[in-house]
Amino acid sequence: MSESAPDLGRSGVIHDLGYRHYSGVREGTPAIARTLFVTGLRHAYGLGRSGKSKVMPFLLLGMSLLPAAIVVGVVVLTGLGDLPVSYADYTNQTQLLVSLFAAAQAPVLFSRDLRHRSIVLYLARPLSAPMFALMRWLSLSLALLLFMLVPTLVLFLGALLAELDTGDQVAGLLKALVLQVLLATLVAGITGLISSVSLRRGFAVVGSVMVLIVLTGVVSVVQNIAAFEDADSASVAVGLFSPWSLFAGLADAWDAGVNTPAPVDGAWVPAYALVAVLLVAGCLLGLVARFRKVGSR
Amino acid sequence: MTTVTGELIGRTPVIATAGLTKHYGSVHALTDLTVDVGPGVTGLVGANGAGKSTLIKILLGLLEPTAGHASVLGHDIEQASQDIRRLVGYMPEHDCLPPDVSASDFVVHMARMSGLGASAARERSADVLRHVGLDEERYRPMGGYSTGMKQRAKLAQALAHDPQLVFLDEPTNGLDPAARTDMLRLVQRIGSDFGIAVLVTSHLLGELEQVSDHVIVLDGGRLLRSSATTDFLRQTGSLLVEVVGTETERDRLGEELARRGLTCRPRGSMVAVDPPPADLAAEGAAHDLIRDVAVELGLGLMRLEPDRGHLEDVFLEGGARV
Ligand SMILES: Nc1ncnc2c1ncn2[C@@H]1O[C@H](COP(=O)(O)OP(=O)(O)OP(=O)(O)O)[C@@H](O)[C@H]1O
Ligand SMILES: [Mg+2]
Repeated sequence: MSESAPDLGRSGVIHDLGYRHYSGVREGTPAIARTLFVTGLRHAYGLGRSGKSKVMPFLLLGMSLLPAAIVVGVVVLTGLGDLPVSYADYTNQTQLLVSLFAAAQAPVLFSRDLRHRSIVLYLARPLSAPMFALMRWLSLSLALLLFMLVPTLVLFLGALLAELDTGDQVAGLLKALVLQVLLATLVAGITGLISSVSLRRGFAVVGSVMVLIVLTGVVSVVQNIAAFEDADSASVAVGLFSPWSLFAGLADAWDAGVNTPAPVDGAWVPAYALVAVLLVAGCLLGLVARFRKVGSR
Repeated sequence: MTTVTGELIGRTPVIATAGLTKHYGSVHALTDLTVDVGPGVTGLVGANGAGKSTLIKILLGLLEPTAGHASVLGHDIEQASQDIRRLVGYMPEHDCLPPDVSASDFVVHMARMSGLGASAARERSADVLRHVGLDEERYRPMGGYSTGMKQRAKLAQALAHDPQLVFLDEPTNGLDPAARTDMLRLVQRIGSDFGIAVLVTSHLLGELEQVSDHVIVLDGGRLLRSSATTDFLRQTGSLLVEVVGTETERDRLGEELARRGLTCRPRGSMVAVDPPPADLAAEGAAHDLIRDVAVELGLGLMRLEPDRGHLEDVFLEGGARV
């Protein structure tokens, strides 16, 4: 394209170049989808957006790294024989920060296009509504996964520095990673759907906080009471109703260093996995329906 | 009824619909629409609720028709909607711009969403923003734009990927008369200079007459009429004459023309001459007569042209026919 305007600018006279057609490469759907995904991932951390929008994600990330840094310092200096917290449990312990990150950043990816109706411009382009929803969800999922994984990796490096058993550490890390992937997709689906329905940012954040923090709190209290009353299966059953208790339950079942009020075992394990997967699928279908509806207005 | 105009013969139409119907429950937004659209600028005219936006959204695959078929640029809307969306641009009637992003960043992003690479998207975006007339403002967040600037930004994103066809839904909506004229001129340039087929909607017939090669009139979701703009205008055959001077001169001319057998009436500072009677109907005869009369009376002829203000009348006539 650049050689089609030879030397016109150099004479110092303003030339109206007229309309130039574009005859270059046009990327296929996969490449367009990848661009949307990468842009969405960057936007989740405020990159490529205003300076102000970087504050929240990086502040939360910093806060979730701080305990990991302290743990590493303690382990390396005192020569403890093991990390005081498992990789998966670290994520569980910092769940408030993870939830806040999701609640705060989901509206960036799921409310804005609907509120300003730029969704129409996307859907008038090659990507279909399902593809658009899928890419948005993947962006937030990976943003969340990174949010959880970065402190986990700091812990892991600390463990290597302290010369703990590498095999044990790698095994724990991989388990945590798998569980984090599942959690990220789940939380991204839930907060994404909430944000796509309540287009006012405030409402979306409050809605996500209600589900991720308040509901999880209630579930946890009920689980503890049930376990205390020796109603173990009731305790485990209640765990199906929040993303964090699903995460903790699966981590417990898999021996990833997280303990639930009552042990998750037997048929409960596939039930937990199934509920998690169905929840993700349901959220995705809801998102597609929502994007389609607003996009046709 | 299918209307195929001269420009279409032997070529695939840009848009072809057959029995296209869209019902929302009991609301009949579009009923049995069969029409072909050729290259150039096509005006889609109709009152509020006539079904203009519905038609565009169906063609884009944003809405599913209740019945009927359509193809855009040779692609079927049901089977190849994605291929269509690669080749067309769309400027919606409502607001669709995020307020905290600059037009420049936004158009680049939208070009990428149409499949252009990063550097091509930047280059194209700078080009189209220049063509639509957004200069320094393009780096400011769009939330602070005037309606005119927003319409330009919306148009720019529709052109960013160099489409073969653009759907412009009420591009003059909310614009003041000067901005309206600018926008219409731009629409005309897109059709002629840029070589991009245009389907442009409006509820004002008068403004589309100026820029369209072809006009489609919708009324309550039904096709009222589809024909070349010249056909609309040819029907009138009236002339407008203006001479130097005041009303006195205007009336002297009018009275003299009436004496020579033409039916005249004053319109503003001009004389409107009805289609000439049979003995003056030969090509140019009425023109010659008017010129001669002006010379005889010693009046300076300022303007002698076909009366182009009758598109609305044609619409009304058509309405009466149905
Ligand atoms: N989602 C919907 N549900 C129900 N009715 C609808 C819907 N969308 C459009 N309609 C109706 O369909 C008809 C055609 O609407 P459309 O928006 O296509 O008209 P239009 O010609 O674009 O009008 P305008 O000039 O107001 O933009 C109207 O009666 C409208 O009320
Ligand atoms: Mg409309």
